[in-house]
Amino acid sequence: MSFGYLLNLAVNGAIEGSIIALGALALTLVFGIARFPNASAGDVITVGAYAGYGGQLASGGLMAAGVVSGMVGAAAISLAFYWFVFRKLAGRSAVYPLIASIGAAFLIRAAITFFLGHDQRVYDVPLTRAVAFGPVRVVPTDLYLAAGALAALAVVFALLHMTPLGRRMRAVADNPDLARAGGISARRVMTAMWLIAGAVSGLAGVLLGVKTVVMPEMGWDLLLPAFAATILGTIGNPVGAVVGGLLIGIAQELSTPFVGFTYKIGVGFLVLLLVLLVRPQGLFSGAERVR
Amino acid sequence: MEGYLLAVGVIALIYMLMTLGLNLHYGFTGLINFGHVGFFAVGAYTSAILAVHGVWLPLAFLAAVVLAALSAWPLGVLSLRLRIEYLAIVTLGFSEAVRLFIVNERWLTNGVQGIPGIPNLSEGLGLPMSATTTTFILLVLANLAAILVIHRIVKSPFGRAIEAIRDDEEALRALGKDPGSFKIRVFMLGAAFAGLGGAFYAHYITFVTPDQFLPLLTFYIWVAMILGGAGRVSGAAVGTLALVGFLEGSRFLRDIVPGVAEVEMASLRLGVVGLALILLVIYRPGGIMGDYSSR
Repeated sequence: MSFGYLLNLAVNGAIEGSIIALGALALTLVFGIARFPNASAGDVITVGAYAGYGGQLASGGLMAAGVVSGMVGAAAISLAFYWFVFRKLAGRSAVYPLIASIGAAFLIRAAITFFLGHDQRVYDVPLTRAVAFGPVRVVPTDLYLAAGALAALAVVFALLHMTPLGRRMRAVADNPDLARAGGISARRVMTAMWLIAGAVSGLAGVLLGVKTVVMPEMGWDLLLPAFAATILGTIGNPVGAVVGGLLIGIAQELSTPFVGFTYKIGVGFLVLLLVLLVRPQGLFSGAERVR
Repeated sequence: MEGYLLAVGVIALIYMLMTLGLNLHYGFTGLINFGHVGFFAVGAYTSAILAVHGVWLPLAFLAAVVLAALSAWPLGVLSLRLRIEYLAIVTLGFSEAVRLFIVNERWLTNGVQGIPGIPNLSEGLGLPMSATTTTFILLVLANLAAILVIHRIVKSPFGRAIEAIRDDEEALRALGKDPGSFKIRVFMLGAAFAGLGGAFYAHYITFVTPDQFLPLLTFYIWVAMILGGAGRVSGAAVGTLALVGFLEGSRFLRDIVPGVAEVEMASLRLGVVGLALILLVIYRPGGIMGDYSSR
């Protein structure tokens, strides 16, 4: 096992990790502001992948159309579930929205499998030859994926830290009562948050669909690694979620020579357990108090 | 027709055993277990593997129950340190990890091909009755025993303690009791019920594959529990009957309504369970006939 091989795995892991990071960012926004672990996030990602696939198909193969329709579709679903479900459970124990979010996840997957079946679909992406950077070989598509994920993360951070809306969102995350006393409309903040979380999930779905295949379970399978990333990076901390996503992506890939390909998805669970046992507050608590 | 009802009854009683276990976790103690199917799988595979290798069935069942309870021990310990939402995620991950293990460790579990030819209860025990009848009778006894255990627990100081954990853990601690050891024991006991259900399932169906142990089953049981009223023993029976009625009804529906394929029916079942979870927590978190006063 050469160093170059491991380096290749790590780079691959970082690319996958950037997709996990998007999922984790969506989770941590909801966790930080609506205060429950949203188990439907994975299936919103799936919606993004299907909507993006449909958008690309309808536009005659334009990737940009796929990205936009994926983000819009997932944001719409996300907002709809906020409006019809989670809004009604505000102020109750986190148990209830958590159970409801499982229900939402099943409902979404049921709709997808009922209307679109279980067939796998692939995005229309040109096949490209891997480019070598020293010992590391990367497919150009993967570079676009990582660039897309990073750009989206940058936009969300700019939104959170440089706009009045972002300031309000962080205020609600920090202290909802104080935020209300300061005249911040919780409903508007929530609406914006669910839209952003949905759009981010949608992008994650499109990128995941481009990297792998589009199928009904793809988002659900991403849920555990994304939860692990969220908790690793301290719940409610967007920077932490992204770093956690990258770390888990890299750890998953680096584990494959040792535990085999199929146990790869177990790595996320293992990381989750270790973090909860050793440092339940995550890596980034105190470093930057965002929540 | 009688045979059909008996077969449905067997499945209902297996689900009821699981519901009783989950009720012990969530209904009485407030522990969120999203990985119930994991304990069910541990029980099913333990008993199946042992029985296929010629172990006497009562011993195989005992091993299934013990192993399911033991597999819950680390989760119980973890539950002491975690907020309930985290426990939910961890238990969900646990059940997926169990399934991953079953898929991967082919030397033990035969992977995705599954284990065929598991001896059924009547041949395993050398009884003259049919397999379904034997399973049904033994399941009735198992459920009665489980209810008896729960009743004794609930009426005991231990039971008052676990209900206090659900309602106000701090108050319990202020009385000088340690909620920790209660939680661990409850977690293991509830898992043991699921493990026993799993063993019955394996020997009734006589064939196990990893696909039978998807998270969906966990949430079938959640629907049954909430429907009947979390924290009520009788609720487990009512909820399970409603659940099995729905699952079986959906099969009849497929026979009546033309043009609905089995895969579409599976999607519909998933959707109905999802919708039920949402509607129940919004409108009836205490169950269809539950009162809210004790919560």
